[in-house]
Amino acid sequence: MTSGALVVGEVHDGHLSSASREAIGVARGVLAPSDPVVGFVAGAAGPTAAAEFAQLGVGRVLHAADPRLDAAPVGAVAHAVATAARAAGVSLVVAGGTTFGRDLVARLAVRWDAAVATGVIELTRDGGTLRARRSVFGGRASETRRLEGERAAVAVRPHAFPAPADGPVPLALEPVPTDDLPAVLVAPLRREIRPPDGGTGPSLTDAAIIVSGGRGVRGPNEFRIVEELAASLGAAVGASRAVTDAGWRPTSFQVGQTGKAVSPQLYIALGISGAIQHLVGMVSSRVIVAINTDATAPIFKVADYGIVGDLFEIVPALTAEVRRVRGL
Amino acid sequence: MARKFARAEMAPHAAECDKAARFPEEIYRKAFDLGLMNLNVPSELGGSGLSLFDQCLIVEELAYACGGMTTSIIANCLALEPILLGGSPEQQARVLKPFCASYHLASFCLTEPSGGSDAGSLRTRARRDGDHYVLDGEKCFITNAPHASLYTVFATLDPSLRHRGITAFMVPRTAEGLTPGKDEEKMGHRASSTSTVRFDKVRVDVGDRLGADGEGFSIAMRTLDQTRTPIGALATGIAQAALDHAAAYALKRESFGKPIAEHQAIQIKLANMAQAVQAARLLTWHSAWTIDGGKKGTLESSIAKCFASDAALHVADEAIQTFGGYGYMKEYPVEKLLRDAKLTQIYEGANEIQRTVIARELLRDYA
Amino acid sequence: MEIVVCVKPVPEAETRLRVASDGTTFDPEGVKFVLAGYDESAVEQALLLKEATPGSRVHVVSAGPSPRTEEVLRASIALGCDQATFVELPASSSTDPVTIARALASAIAKAPHDLVLCGKQAGDDEAGLVAAALGELLGVPDFGYVVDLRWDPASSHLKFQRSSEAGQEIWEAPLPCVIGLQQAWNDPRTAKLPMILKSRKAPIAKVAPGGAPSPPPASRPERFELPPPRLGAKLIEFKTPQEAAEKLVKILREEAKVFP
Repeated sequence: MTSGALVVGEVHDGHLSSASREAIGVARGVLAPSDPVVGFVAGAAGPTAAAEFAQLGVGRVLHAADPRLDAAPVGAVAHAVATAARAAGVSLVVAGGTTFGRDLVARLAVRWDAAVATGVIELTRDGGTLRARRSVFGGRASETRRLEGERAAVAVRPHAFPAPADGPVPLALEPVPTDDLPAVLVAPLRREIRPPDGGTGPSLTDAAIIVSGGRGVRGPNEFRIVEELAASLGAAVGASRAVTDAGWRPTSFQVGQTGKAVSPQLYIALGISGAIQHLVGMVSSRVIVAINTDATAPIFKVADYGIVGDLFEIVPALTAEVRRVRGL
Repeated sequence: MARKFARAEMAPHAAECDKAARFPEEIYRKAFDLGLMNLNVPSELGGSGLSLFDQCLIVEELAYACGGMTTSIIANCLALEPILLGGSPEQQARVLKPFCASYHLASFCLTEPSGGSDAGSLRTRARRDGDHYVLDGEKCFITNAPHASLYTVFATLDPSLRHRGITAFMVPRTAEGLTPGKDEEKMGHRASSTSTVRFDKVRVDVGDRLGADGEGFSIAMRTLDQTRTPIGALATGIAQAALDHAAAYALKRESFGKPIAEHQAIQIKLANMAQAVQAARLLTWHSAWTIDGGKKGTLESSIAKCFASDAALHVADEAIQTFGGYGYMKEYPVEKLLRDAKLTQIYEGANEIQRTVIARELLRDYA
Repeated sequence: MEIVVCVKPVPEAETRLRVASDGTTFDPEGVKFVLAGYDESAVEQALLLKEATPGSRVHVVSAGPSPRTEEVLRASIALGCDQATFVELPASSSTDPVTIARALASAIAKAPHDLVLCGKQAGDDEAGLVAAALGELLGVPDFGYVVDLRWDPASSHLKFQRSSEAGQEIWEAPLPCVIGLQQAWNDPRTAKLPMILKSRKAPIAKVAPGGAPSPPPASRPERFELPPPRLGAKLIEFKTPQEAAEKLVKILREEAKVFP
């Protein structure tokens, strides 16, 4: 499994996504220095993303320019990626583990006949064997899978890997033919995209930092202090089920067993007791901070750092200190 | 499913209903919607038609969440059993089908102010008048009475005949002269509603008599043969809850530098509690298997009810002791369990009576 | 509409996980398997669509080892699915999502299917692969993280939203397709006792996996690890809220290195 890798370039807000950038580093990490890393981009935003690939040391970029791919479901893009992978002769495809990336590698597993793993937090190569480690059971365990066969497609967990540090190289853009794209794969129509609920902050599943509020925040108006701390940190805002059930914030804010599963670098839990239903949604966060008046709250068992105190006093002080340090 | 309902719908409200002695009709309606009421009624008549064993599994899960709510939910089974045992197919179809088709509560009316254990001495009078009987008297400690739409009532044609005069009747709430009393303030099972029922010249059609004249006592006793086992399951549920609370607490609470679960005094307590809970459960299951297999099961069910209720009281008591001072506080859930466990020793046949029944059944084998 | 819903048995959320003796996976001894949470939403959605579209049927399919797989099929029947198909797989290959997808696809391809619904991921391996792999195997588009699914008979299109990093996407798609549902945005119903009792006796069709011999799983679990037990939070001592704030920010910057 050493004939190079293809990194799928996903575009967010007009730029190569951070998850795709991290994917480059992952690919390099398992290849020999002489193995090529090739980029893939699709649609109208392709050339911009390709230029950014080149800035990060990936000069050869395959571009499926077919305009149908701009708003097509992932199956159509997977079709093009498989064509590109075959053309480039690679044995590994790496994508950022976004909602798009995970579905993409799943389809590649079938279309490109590859071993597949999603949510990868560690990818290693030992001789000819590729191993992927991933978090399972809501972060309560991890498994290492051996990827067998001649090809592998992996989706790597966002924010789990550093961005690559390679210097810029010249860009060589190559077209990828898509005339054999089945009509059925491009028939569905995406009518529009609405920015995530909660306005300007990053979405929960994508965020590197999340500030979450629970029943201890007392009410919908008081919940604003959670949002203010989040804004000072550039963080996404989450909530426990108690908050969304009470209608203080929409269900899309909910983190937990019946809400979203998140794995940010930093998770700050305010006024959240730490019932298991919430924990399974966030326990795989790298660092957990809890603020609660109840020293016996279960959240303190999983948190790395804790403050036993009144969040209505601590959080405003914290927000002020964060702003001061960040120069906001 | 019963566990999910119990933990999600009943348990969150148990403390609040206990504190305020609130009858949570909305929870009982949900239980009805999910098919958790009328468990003993055959499915052709609209019930769930469950074996006694399956009933025990459900009742234990419900009681784990709240003993009082469970009492009200299964009170229908107690009240409808006389109709299943003593009623004609016509009576069963006429009364049970509409009853089970939508949410209704029923009450079993046997106990009187002057006679509980001595049921044979009951004084509520039934006088024959043409095509009717006229009922006069008073029943007390009747579960669900203020909310019931159907009452199965035991009255005597002639007190001097003692148990041979007792006759069973079905009486609708709408009957003139039937008056449920005020909800009693109880030690436990406070989410369940209990009151007197007055019968003032209540006219009951002869077609609503269950079985023959004088057959009522036998119907009542055969009813209790059926219902003792689920009460064993109810007590087991309370006992299991007490054990779970005590064990979890013992692992967290520290004294003398370590969790109290590492002190032998607590370990011995927990071990005894666990033995009692398992024994209660298995005696109850054994009783259920025996009766489901077609046997009368009087001995087995009396042992199950007596043992499980005594166990529940003891386990709840030890759970409070494990919690220490906190166990005595209403803010913690264990003192409620003791108050709820106590009733299981008293109702559906006081344990003193259960013991005489056990002795009688036992000695029969040696005679 | 012929609706197929795919379900999976997973350990219930409160399970205390233990490593199996061979170290490759979790120890299934004493583990209670239930219908995956995301799958409950998928079944609920299938039933809602059936109720809204007269003449529809819901066919529930699952691939995995016995008896846990039949149990979740029965749980789905108790909720209201019309028919059930069980594809038996040995426990060893049930850990590979692509093998599961192939087994499901072989059963689905043989039956009428306008819409295939799945939960987006399962609470155990959380791979989230099956819905997309199924789409590829059946040759149709797939959509993951869908909320708010509706069938519009006037346009003969499915209308739905999906949550992605970009935000809420609004889509319209013709049938057939595969939909991977987000969890719990609809309120899954609880099975009622009479249906549970009936489901105990309901027939379940059993089919062997695959027509053509399936390729062996390309990804094998090798090691299963429980993380080192978290020691509990380091509590920050403070006299004033200001002091607490300063200490925490310092820790986040210097010790934890997670400050933006």
